[in-house]
Amino acid sequence: MKKYNPVRSFMWVAALAALTISGCNTNSDDAPTGEYAQDAVLISNEGAFNKSNASVSYYNRSTGQVQNEIYSAANPSQVLGDVLQSINLHNDKAYLVMNNSKKITVVNASTFKAEGEINGLDAPRYFAALNNEKGYVTEWLAYDPNTYQYGKGRVSVIDLKTYTVLKTIEVGVQPEQLVITGGKVYVANVGENAVTVINTITDAVEKNIIVTQSPNSLALDQNSNLWVISTGQKDWQLDPSNYTPGALTKINTGSNTVEATLPFSSKTAFASKLATNGAKNKLYFEYDNKVYQQDINATTLSTTPVINRSFSSLGIDPVNNYIYAGVAPGYTSNGWVVRFNPTGAALDSFRVGIAPNGFIFR
Amino acid sequence: MARFSFKSIVFLLGLFGAAHTLRAQQDTSHYQLQGVEIFGQPAEIYAAGSRVSSIDSSFLSTYNSTSLAAALQARTPLYIKSYGVSGISSVSFRGTMASHTAVLWNGLNISSPSLGQTDLAALPLGGVGTIAIQHGGTGAMYGSGAIGGAILLTSPDYTSQGFSGELQQEAGSFGRYYSKATFNYGNDKFSVSAGGYRLQAENDFRYTDYASFGAPERKQEHAAILQYGFTQDLAWNLSTNSKLALHSWYTFADREPQASLGAAHNNSRQIDKNLRLLAEYTLGTNWGETSIKAGYFNDLLKYTATSINSIADIATYQLQAEQTYTYGRTWRLRGGINLQHFAANVDGYSQPEKENRASAFVLLRYDPIEALALSLNLRQAFAEGYNPNPTPTLGANYRFYSNNNHLFYLKGNVAGSYRVPTLNDRFWQPGGNPDLKSEQGWNYETGLQHEYTSGTLHLESEATVYYMLVDNWVQWVPTEQGFYTPKNLQKVRSQGIEISSSATKQLGKVSITAATGYTYTLSEQVKSYEGPEELHKQLAYVPLHKATGALSAAWQNWSLTGNVSYNGLRYTTSDNTTNLAAFTLLDLAASRKFILGSNTLQASVQANNLLNTEYQTMENMPMPGRNYAINFRFIIP
Repeated sequence: MKKYNPVRSFMWVAALAALTISGCNTNSDDAPTGEYAQDAVLISNEGAFNKSNASVSYYNRSTGQVQNEIYSAANPSQVLGDVLQSINLHNDKAYLVMNNSKKITVVNASTFKAEGEINGLDAPRYFAALNNEKGYVTEWLAYDPNTYQYGKGRVSVIDLKTYTVLKTIEVGVQPEQLVITGGKVYVANVGENAVTVINTITDAVEKNIIVTQSPNSLALDQNSNLWVISTGQKDWQLDPSNYTPGALTKINTGSNTVEATLPFSSKTAFASKLATNGAKNKLYFEYDNKVYQQDINATTLSTTPVINRSFSSLGIDPVNNYIYAGVAPGYTSNGWVVRFNPTGAALDSFRVGIAPNGFIFR
Repeated sequence: MARFSFKSIVFLLGLFGAAHTLRAQQDTSHYQLQGVEIFGQPAEIYAAGSRVSSIDSSFLSTYNSTSLAAALQARTPLYIKSYGVSGISSVSFRGTMASHTAVLWNGLNISSPSLGQTDLAALPLGGVGTIAIQHGGTGAMYGSGAIGGAILLTSPDYTSQGFSGELQQEAGSFGRYYSKATFNYGNDKFSVSAGGYRLQAENDFRYTDYASFGAPERKQEHAAILQYGFTQDLAWNLSTNSKLALHSWYTFADREPQASLGAAHNNSRQIDKNLRLLAEYTLGTNWGETSIKAGYFNDLLKYTATSINSIADIATYQLQAEQTYTYGRTWRLRGGINLQHFAANVDGYSQPEKENRASAFVLLRYDPIEALALSLNLRQAFAEGYNPNPTPTLGANYRFYSNNNHLFYLKGNVAGSYRVPTLNDRFWQPGGNPDLKSEQGWNYETGLQHEYTSGTLHLESEATVYYMLVDNWVQWVPTEQGFYTPKNLQKVRSQGIEISSSATKQLGKVSITAATGYTYTLSEQVKSYEGPEELHKQLAYVPLHKATGALSAAWQNWSLTGNVSYNGLRYTTSDNTTNLAAFTLLDLAASRKFILGSNTLQASVQANNLLNTEYQTMENMPMPGRNYAINFRFIIP
């Protein structure tokens, strides 16, 4: 009773062809290299809130070639999501923290093909992986729209095999950047004056290290000291005469104590975007709308800026110490990346996505 | 098309199928000066040389359960930016931003004083009598904000004698229900009308979630709306030469603003309450016509979400007094003043703010010969701390050829326009910038108009070319501290072509009306005072091409209407690297009228987005696919 049906035959052929083609793709995916594997600088472009126009740009350091929207290119017709807060790389995976999509999108770091997503998050900011099994993500929580204040945030512990949340750990107000070293997670709580230390064996808070108000970024140096930059009290609801100055703080990660505090002079100037060079013996940061650089052994703050302007993001190429700086002209225009040589002379620039907020060098 | 140029369309009152005709004519070339005094002659009479059009009453009647946004999208060259199916809708007219189109109700500006723009999705067609659209800068006539153009709304006009009424019920896809009732009573001295409506829609349409892993199909779960409101209009003929009218319009909207693909909706909710009251007194004497309008508007906007609790409550008091003097058929002179007082309680401001604005205007229409109409208008605005330049308009209509069948007109005008910064621009904390300057625009246009009449065929076409410059264009830009501040950022040049044509024809017992329109809009930054120099790139969300078409046929008690619109590609970033694809929408409506004694029951069926087009007017905001509605209307004449 089964008659020859040309449509059905066509479907079979089409299905077989699809299998063959996808098989080919799988083979190429298994190859150790991908389109975005070599000499890569990945730029995270935050996008505008509730526009879902976040994107990732790729810059090839040897050819100077730029490719924007690489997530859409690798995943046709897919939308990355709303507010790309940060990207973190671990082995062959890139973790894209999508703040207002309340998730982390996991992609192959070389091909940028989507591999899955981590849901069950509320307001993820930054991610770091301990190993291939476990990762940590900071989340701001409990914002009160009437007082404009946040409550205590949390760190969610992620099972990187199943992409599920294993545990949540309450930390300080507005937990921002985090660094994992020596079996400990260090979390900068930008809404207060403490760095929280979490033990990765027990996944419990071990200590709060008091630093200057509003620690916003972290960097490890070659001696495994943790550097923290704090901007000071800068709540916009306060009169600027009530602002407090920020500081650069050095934490000994062996004893988890503050070894040195270098306070900034201005009460009103902002300090942020701490980074290190490849040798991890120099610190870069932004203060008072200028970029500074100084040795990790310096006992006073540098007073001579390397670059006399401010940026939306800052990254140091670990190979040649070139400075990569993001420029965000707003949330309706695409941004730029300007490259500077280590002495602060501008080299060139290229166009990226909306609001470039971070760099990954690979 | 339907760009509005239904002007001249002799419409069978579409769904009513009545044989009597209504000229939805707004074109200035048709406003011949009359020796006889007529109350309430529209301001358009002073717009000689500019392009004015209207949305025909048949469309307004068929789609009265929708909003002004839907009407403008289907029938005009204006581009409507809808934040999803339930969010706010704003307009781009001649390549400008939402705040560059003035929206007036019975002659008074109703744009939000805090935002400087009007949410077109919150203005239901059911509460509106007529909609006229004046293209280009018209600052002299309509004041602040009329840079790209002006949308002119009037209250419904009830002229019937005795008692009449209408009951309406509609049900549609995605949990949509609409009910409306209006009653009116009129005699020689007095008329009163009252109407109310209620619209509820779940908007749980299906869409593909391209922002989730694997792109699953999902149902929209956060786009429900509830809207209701009422209108009330009273008019007394106090004497043979004086009249008092009271208009009230209240609208309420409770909406779940749709989130973009991949974005959390954060339990967002927007509640709008808008009360508009207007009293108008007109008096005709030997010295001409006197008109005094007093308005009180209250606009409340409450927006809440997990991390937002914002409320803006603004009272506006307006007074407009005009004196019009007419000399035979040759000239007419109108002088007037407009006073505005705003009292704003906005929780984004550090304290309640008050502001006064005033303007004085003189409008002159002069017809030296019957074939030539000239207008010369001037307005000077006064705003505390802001000194907009005087804005003049000079325009002309010239009928340079006419015979039994053909009329040809040449039109042109030069018009200034301005926009005073909004209350948010000045007072928002943090970011408000008290040092802003007013935006200033210049509009130049010329056009050709043709009318052809032969037997039952009437054809009318118009082509306009315009060139517009807007300087000190305000935009909010981010600061070092992480908040936004408005700045006079750039100079924008917009130029384009607007073509429209409409025809009516009687084919045996069938009445046909057809209309098409096409707009080409090139709008770009030509100077940048601060921020990125993205010169000579098309502004975001301004389509280069938009076209509309409408066709309707009426036969006995039946009528059939189709509307099609094409929106060309729109860039979503100012450097033109990302865009939204062009899309075409097709809507059809059919109706039949049943005579029940002296009353009428009209049943109609509508199919919207019949092509099931997947489209977005704002990036990552999916809109509904094909959907249907059925509508019953009981009319007591």
